[in-house]
Amino acid sequence: MAISVDPPDVSEHLRQKQGYTFTFLSDPNTEMIRRYDLLHKAGGPEEHDISRPAEFLVDRSSTVRWENFTEDIRVRPRAEQMLAAARAIQW
Amino acid sequence: MRLHACYAFALHARPKPKTNQFRPLARVAYYCAGPLSNFLYYSQVPAAVLPWLNLAIPAIGLLLVLIGVARAFRQPQLYRGKILGSIFTVLAALFFGGSVWLFIYVRDVPRSAAAPQVGQRVPDFTLPDSTNQPVSLAQLFSAAPGTAQPKALLLVFYRGYW
Repeated sequence: MAISVDPPDVSEHLRQKQGYTFTFLSDPNTEMIRRYDLLHKAGGPEEHDISRPAEFLVDRSSTVRWENFTEDIRVRPRAEQMLAAARAIQW
Repeated sequence: MRLHACYAFALHARPKPKTNQFRPLARVAYYCAGPLSNFLYYSQVPAAVLPWLNLAIPAIGLLLVLIGVARAFRQPQLYRGKILGSIFTVLAALFFGGSVWLFIYVRDVPRSAAAPQVGQRVPDFTLPDSTNQPVSLAQLFSAAPGTAQPKALLLVFYRGYW
């Protein structure tokens, strides 16, 4: 599941263009982003508030089992790294 | 292409009598290294070293230009490139400055000290998906028709503006 401040139609365009099959959620008012303390004030174009990059792997009880916060927006975890993290956990 | 050739020329300040065939090749390889190193973010190279590589390459470039221009001024009978070397020193310095600025900019990320930690529960939510349908965390954990209930869910927050 991916989440950003992009409105649904922008996310839908990205989803179709890239062929992604997972869910995209839109949080243009940064409600959920604030609740997760991930707000990057004026981090977007024209000083718009956006989400900082972050990844959480949660289980059915909504408990975080693995997470990642980058220090450099160019550096994100690779799909294999996240899959390896998921496989290493007893679910 | 011409500009690149000039840059190649200025990097080491070409000796007057004869040009070594390998030097221009080495220089061309160097110019390609800078821009191409950005694509390493999509490769298997450990991502943590890449920001430092992006900083080191322009730094090495600036150093080489400085060596070249110093030679041109100290031994003008042996090396050319006083004018071009000076121009490219300024350009290389600007390029290095830009790289330093970028390095600082991309690391300007909030600390997120109050974000959910491992072992803590994440807050529930209901937000519109890309087809404008409201979706909650609980719904994401419910099984899609014909599939088993997912054991886990990966929440990927990204910067947006795609």
